Amino acid sequence: MTWSIATPAVMAAFLASLVEVVEAFTIVLAVATLRGWRSAALGTIAGLAVLAAIVLLLGPLLNRIPLHSLQLAIGILLLLFGMGWLRKASLRAAGIIPLHDEDAIFAAEAAQLGQYRRRQQTNLDWVAAITALKAVLLEGLEVVFIVIAVGAGRGLLMPASLGALAACALVLAAGAIIHRPLSRVPENTLKFGVGVMLSAFGVFWTGEGLGVAWPGQDLALVLFAALFLTAGLVGSALARRISVEIAQ
Amino acid sequence: MTVLKDVVAELIGMFLAEKRLTIAVLTVVTMAGCLVDFTDLDPLVGGTVVLFGCPILLIESVYRCAKAGTS
Repeated sequence: MTWSIATPAVMAAFLASLVEVVEAFTIVLAVATLRGWRSAALGTIAGLAVLAAIVLLLGPLLNRIPLHSLQLAIGILLLLFGMGWLRKASLRAAGIIPLHDEDAIFAAEAAQLGQYRRRQQTNLDWVAAITALKAVLLEGLEVVFIVIAVGAGRGLLMPASLGALAACALVLAAGAIIHRPLSRVPENTLKFGVGVMLSAFGVFWTGEGLGVAWPGQDLALVLFAALFLTAGLVGSALARRISVEIAQ
Repeated sequence: MTVLKDVVAELIGMFLAEKRLTIAVLTVVTMAGCLVDFTDLDPLVGGTVVLFGCPILLIESVYRCAKAGTS
């Protein structure tokens, strides 16, 4: 394991997990605030258990796939996923689509649970627990994919998992202290950065899967990241110019 | 059942955020694969196609979306 490739893998897993865990935490907090921590904890634990089962099921399967095929498949998926994040982050930075608002999401979830409360009293704890489960499961799926994608190609699953776990611990610690949605996390900047890193990994693995020997080997990732960063910034600047022109 | 449906939708949405961008990226990767497999060119040429093709596609996708005014 070389630090030049382990560091971006761990960083990508950490930052991406930070974004996803903040989103899941907002919904779990809404459930806990309205229905108490029991339902929220139940749903969260169930969600984490399903995610763990997915990892345990997929992990051994990945070892059976030939390395080049695995790198190519993961590379293409990373390209699609990373460029999707980068595209959205560029559009958000340009003001074309609204920024993710954790306070608004918290209010919307609370309002939805309030509606259930008025309609059906008895099953509410289940509704609350399933809401928490869904949040953990859906946001966690992206974390699982990122950890597998940045880790599986070069035997970095463990460091990438540790990066994701560190993000979970950080969000939980911050959430326990402030007890409110973590609305001050610069989510779009993080998504922009993670989109850049994942896209760079995507090109790297796709190339390796196709049999390309990248000059500079792992260090080529830095150049790839710089290219995607530039593309994201150029795209965002162009989009901002268009939105200003339309506004005038 | 709703949870399962949401999970499937999330999985699809993770990789197919924008149809045109997805198709374009897959086309570029296929082109690169063809260059590597069916020509005598250095595989690095195929890698370069992906390396420069994808950022260009990204800029085009953001630009097009901004022009349309929707995501």
